[in-house]
Amino acid sequence: MPVIHVEALNYFVGKQEILSDISCDIEQGDYVALIGPNGGGKTTLVKMILGLQTPSSGKIDIFGIDRKHFKSWHKVGYVPQNVSLFDNNFPLSVYEAVSLGLAAKKSWFSKINQEEKIQIEEAIHIASIEEFRDKNLSELSGGQRQRVMIARALVSQPEILILDEPSTGVDIASQHKFYDFLRRLNREQNLTIIFITHDLGVIADDVTHVLSINQKLVYSGTAETMLSCEAVSEVYGTKAHVVHTH
Amino acid sequence: MLEIFDYEFMQRAFIVGISLSILTAVLGSFIVLKRYAMLPDALSHIALLGVGIGLVTHSSPIYVPIVVAVIAAISIEYLRYKKRLYSDAILSIFLSGALAMAIILINISDGFNASLFSYLFGSITAVSDQEVNITVGFTLISLLLLLGSYRKLLFATLDEASAQASGIPVFWLNLMLVVLSAVTVALAMRIVGILLIGALMVLPISTALLYKENFIKTIGMAILFSLTSVISGLVCSYHMGLSSGASIVLIALGFFIISLFLNL
Repeated sequence: MPVIHVEALNYFVGKQEILSDISCDIEQGDYVALIGPNGGGKTTLVKMILGLQTPSSGKIDIFGIDRKHFKSWHKVGYVPQNVSLFDNNFPLSVYEAVSLGLAAKKSWFSKINQEEKIQIEEAIHIASIEEFRDKNLSELSGGQRQRVMIARALVSQPEILILDEPSTGVDIASQHKFYDFLRRLNREQNLTIIFITHDLGVIADDVTHVLSINQKLVYSGTAETMLSCEAVSEVYGTKAHVVHTH
Repeated sequence: MLEIFDYEFMQRAFIVGISLSILTAVLGSFIVLKRYAMLPDALSHIALLGVGIGLVTHSSPIYVPIVVAVIAAISIEYLRYKKRLYSDAILSIFLSGALAMAIILINISDGFNASLFSYLFGSITAVSDQEVNITVGFTLISLLLLLGSYRKLLFATLDEASAQASGIPVFWLNLMLVVLSAVTVALAMRIVGILLIGALMVLPISTALLYKENFIKTIGMAILFSLTSVISGLVCSYHMGLSSGASIVLIALGFFIISLFLNL
């Protein structure tokens, strides 16, 4: 059973079609890149999977349950766009930020218990941010904040992690380290990871699956086939020459 | 010094002042971090509309502003969250609309007098026993609600989309926050004044933010700045015969300016 099943999904704003007849499956342990031009509907699709927007028609199942009836949102971690641009004045330590990932599961007035404290420490360890745990978010670089937000998403022990353009605001040197870290998470934790990216160089390396969206699903398959000039041209609507460096 | 407490009106002013200073500091922290700092100002002008309605209809000067402010707060949040209108534009529309209606109503009721001035600038003699009971009871309930939901509220304040995606009822939490703010503003206008209550909600947290501490310490510092401003403002108001609202806000502003220099 796929962890995410999307079937005949359509989305209109007024008469304008944003997504048209999207169908795809994502399996447990997949490492998926969601690519496409700006305005192609990538973020909209992600928001629909997360229940932040409602499709005009079609179906989304998460772990085999219709999204409308799905309650176990702690199984789906989300890291939004522009994490590195978060308000610099927000008074929040790394530990406090990571612990927020447990907020949805906590009932009113309940404190963080011993088991949850261990979960927080584990998430901090997995994201390799131990040395910053008592620092404020404002003291961290874009890449370090990105890891904090991933730790926050991991603390509820999700089975799916969705990231919207995670390398935005992260310098090029840190981007490679960041994607290596994501890939390690995917392999070592058997975590299904879906990320939106514009960086075609990234998808060539490790992703198991590429979904290309430009209103409709233009391509679904491996990165190798995707990087043929025809497929890239179809996704971005422009002529492309792909240079393979290895 | 302690003869100040011989007067019942001062006892009432201190009880209400201390309650509201804690509550405005906590509520103000979430409001400012949500970039919603114009909300208390808009709500206070809406509360003035409640005063105007009260003057025209000869109804309660306590309950009418509360009801009017709560209805407006719910409408503001609905338009912001569900209709996705710009929050600063909505607040500006409500503020000017409510102020215009309030002026007309006060005109009709011939209410431009000393009593209106106590609503505008605050007065330590204006607090009744009934207001003391309502304010203390409301403060306790509000602090319990905020304490019980603080982690969810903080997540929704930092990142609404991620909080909602994780299953947190963001709309209802925001609604709770604006409704509590509306009632707080309506209650605080008697002692701080409609024109100055916004500053009391915004200044203590803005001062605390300059010290760049974590969230818990920042809230603690905001409460301390707010409490000190209100207590010393009330004492100054009593000894110098000054407006209580203006004294409180000037002391809070003093803390902000000193902190700004200390953290340059």
